[in-house]
Amino acid sequence: MNLFATLRIWWRAMVNRSRMGREVEEEFKFHIDAYVADLIRQGIAPADAQRKARIDLGLANTQNERYRDAMGLRVFDELGADIRYGLRSVFKDRGYSSVAILSLALGIGATTAMFSLIYAVLIHPFPYADSDRIMNPDIITEEGPSMMWFVMDKSQFEVFKKAQSIESLLGFHNDNAELTGEDLPEDVALVYLTENADTFFGVRALLGHGIQPSDAGEHVAVLNYQFWQRHFHGDRAVIGRTLQLNHIVYTIVGVMPRTFAFNDTFGVGDVYLPKTLQRDSANPRIRSLYVPWIKLKADVSPAVADAELDAIVHQFAKENPDDFTKKFHLHLQPITVPYEQNTGHTLALLLAGVLLLLAIGCANCSILLLARGEARQRELAVRRAIGASRWRIIRQLLVEALVVSFSGAALGVVLSYWLAKLPMQLSPDSFPPESVIRINLPILMFSAGLALLCGILFGLFPALRLSRPDLTCTMHARLHRIGGTDRRRKVNPLIAGQIALTLLLLATAGMAIGAFLHLTNLPLGYDPDHVMQVGIAMHWNNPKVWHDIQSREGRVAFVDQIQQKIAAIPGVTSVAVATDSTPPYSGIDYAVEVAAKSNDMAQDARLHLTSPEFFATLHIKLLRGRAWTPAENQQGDFVAVVNEAFAHHYWSQKDPIGQQLRLPTLKARGPVLAGSPDSAGWRQVIGVIADLRNDGVDRPAVPEIYLPYTTFMVPRVQYEIRTQGEPLAMLHSVRAAVQSVASDQQVSDKSFDLKEAIERDSQWTRQHLFSILFGFFSALALLLALVGLLSVVSYSVAQRTAELGIRMALSASRRHIAWIAVRIAARSVILGIVVGLAVDMLIQRVLATWMSNQDLPSHNLVPATLLLVLCSVSACLLPARHAASIQPVEALRSE
Amino acid sequence: VKRVELPQGTLELLILKSVSLGPLHGYGILLRIQQISGERLELLQGSFYTVVYRLERNGWIEGEWGESENNRKAKFYRLTTSGRRQLKEETTKWSDMADVVANILRTSPEEI
Repeated sequence: MNLFATLRIWWRAMVNRSRMGREVEEEFKFHIDAYVADLIRQGIAPADAQRKARIDLGLANTQNERYRDAMGLRVFDELGADIRYGLRSVFKDRGYSSVAILSLALGIGATTAMFSLIYAVLIHPFPYADSDRIMNPDIITEEGPSMMWFVMDKSQFEVFKKAQSIESLLGFHNDNAELTGEDLPEDVALVYLTENADTFFGVRALLGHGIQPSDAGEHVAVLNYQFWQRHFHGDRAVIGRTLQLNHIVYTIVGVMPRTFAFNDTFGVGDVYLPKTLQRDSANPRIRSLYVPWIKLKADVSPAVADAELDAIVHQFAKENPDDFTKKFHLHLQPITVPYEQNTGHTLALLLAGVLLLLAIGCANCSILLLARGEARQRELAVRRAIGASRWRIIRQLLVEALVVSFSGAALGVVLSYWLAKLPMQLSPDSFPPESVIRINLPILMFSAGLALLCGILFGLFPALRLSRPDLTCTMHARLHRIGGTDRRRKVNPLIAGQIALTLLLLATAGMAIGAFLHLTNLPLGYDPDHVMQVGIAMHWNNPKVWHDIQSREGRVAFVDQIQQKIAAIPGVTSVAVATDSTPPYSGIDYAVEVAAKSNDMAQDARLHLTSPEFFATLHIKLLRGRAWTPAENQQGDFVAVVNEAFAHHYWSQKDPIGQQLRLPTLKARGPVLAGSPDSAGWRQVIGVIADLRNDGVDRPAVPEIYLPYTTFMVPRVQYEIRTQGEPLAMLHSVRAAVQSVASDQQVSDKSFDLKEAIERDSQWTRQHLFSILFGFFSALALLLALVGLLSVVSYSVAQRTAELGIRMALSASRRHIAWIAVRIAARSVILGIVVGLAVDMLIQRVLATWMSNQDLPSHNLVPATLLLVLCSVSACLLPARHAASIQPVEALRSE
Repeated sequence: VKRVELPQGTLELLILKSVSLGPLHGYGILLRIQQISGERLELLQGSFYTVVYRLERNGWIEGEWGESENNRKAKFYRLTTSGRRQLKEETTKWSDMADVVANILRTSPEEI
């Protein structure tokens, strides 16, 4: 047998159905005519000949059927008929169909949304070619992964590049520059990329080209999509135009597509420049550094690569012992891993939520099918009576279910497009910036598969039930209806299951919302209202400017002058200088020694370098002693302020004021740092402040030390500015104030107020995301469950109209009739609630460990349960009221 | 004339054979089989087509529209390459079987 020939015929039958029919008919006619002619030739009268031919050959119609049967097309014909019939019945009963389709659309939509999110974030987050082979080298010390990035100088980079396991090596370095030649200087995030970038990433530029080997040493720039939109308003004629950065002119040669957002770790770059340029423009005494991204060869296992590169890095360590800790090893980490860790659990939990929602949607459809099946008993009985097999009826019911489920899926895919964007908007930092939600082939296949599964899932049970050959039962339909029925019993487990799942979702939502409220009500220890942070990156790579601010004195004067100017702006109440000290996650870990304590193990504390106004500006309570004076601030040495956690940790029995501490490693080295003469020397504690959140909003404060910022200065600084009104509205005045001190000095474009800093906290966004999404899911689930409940009760009431009429004629009270209606669902609802509570108790612990590690408020199920009971009762009462209002005479006439 | 009934599956072989001699339309195949058999085979005209269609589905014969002897449009069937192979196989099978059966039937008691 030739499969190809069969397929060709099937294809023709599908594409050209009518032509095929005509051909069969024509062949048949030819045959009959030739046959008749032969018969006449044999001497039979024409009329008899016609008759005989007809008898021998049958009808043209039969011939066509014979043909389709022989060609194996009959299955398609029947299936097509089933689908047409299914569509007809969907249109006939619009109420049923729209409820069923909507239930599924919500379930499938939410699931597809979650899948596309998982696809975008975990399965295919990066647009880079072979992104699964791109690795980040991580230096693992004895204390765990090092917080520092592994960087190399040029010669090391060249050695590294030759490693056997590396297919290609990208080196990059982030920097900031100022966009010059415009009204106010603007901050631009630069990424210098080695010139193999275009082939390494394998991402086609939207316009022009990416950084290529021929760009080496040329003053060319490639733009990030967002920057291009922001700055050039998406002008497609931008190629060939110029861009002035730090007074140097660059020619724009390319614009990257929207999905390209390298690099996510330091914030997305605005402009990409060739790496060789960095040496030209930068201060020659600063080594040009390379942060590596490694693309492994396809056939090299990570373990082999680890071993080879580890040996190379250990060789580097031998040559430059100062740059490395004593014991470490190198570990290659795929670039998706940080997101998997951060987002994997979140997405798993959300996926569990939407699957519950989908299950509820499916249960709803089953219930509706069963309830409607009651009304269709007669139709099915007729089909059986004229010879339909049970399998044929099951098939027809399943096809009808699939018609509904695919309609639901189509609607769901449209819904999912919006739903999938929601988590990204609520918690943007948890997802790679490259992730773009798109409806693509895998997602469409996923939802089609889901539709098929759902259709079979919710269709099979009712189909099996309804197709049962109990003819007699249906023949006595009328008696059956009056006598009451046990048929609704089969709906009961579905209702109970639905209620249980809904309760589960409601309880989870309650927990998520509770946890979030708890989080927002935690005392912060500072006042984030009306304070903003404005950052300034000094121009260490511009020799002219750098000359004045390279020395400590010059830099202090510079910072101080800007502080004065900002303080003088009308509407600014106070301003403080800080370095990475903005709560709720702040400070840098430094080793600290405390006098008169055993010092064999130096412990870490969070170091803050601020001006003395910091405490007043953030409304931080001073518990004991004082902040340092302006004179002490100028000097930088000998004083320190600690927080309560620090005081408690080291001097729980003693008065912390007057105690001695020092930070032995706090020494300014190299050309860009500046420090006071005795920055690593002993300091006296002069004040203790109350704890403020410095390790994330949900975690207790860790010990911290505040020092005058002049003791250790990096070439950037932030100002904490408290204002009378909306702080960000003052940004323009602040920029002008900065410019009045240094005409070229730009302000970081990442200024934010301190409330926003809280909202960016990972725990905060996570809980926020959970509470909103689970609130949303559970509301949908509740709605679906209630629709299911409502339809069961109303169908049952409609089915039992005659029975209720008889009861009323026999003087049953209206209240009793209403009770009968409510009773239909009451038992299943109660059962569902009990099961739901039990399951919830079981899985609560799992959820608790996933959602938050500590500080969980007690798990309260009462509100969720009450809400569910209340809604269920009202869903039952609606049809019950209708039942009670039936006029007995009408009810008896209703058949 | 004494009529013969065909064993199951033999009609296929006969159709393949008659078409192998040259393209024929459906009625022509029917006539040729009857003619060669000396009118001893009676074929049911309706179910005859079921077999023709099945052969077409299997890709052993191929239909093509052409003109009949009396200038009418008719569908002519001809053997395909795979059909020729099939005919050869079936013919061998059939004659092998016929040989075996004939041998057994011919056997006299002495030969056992």
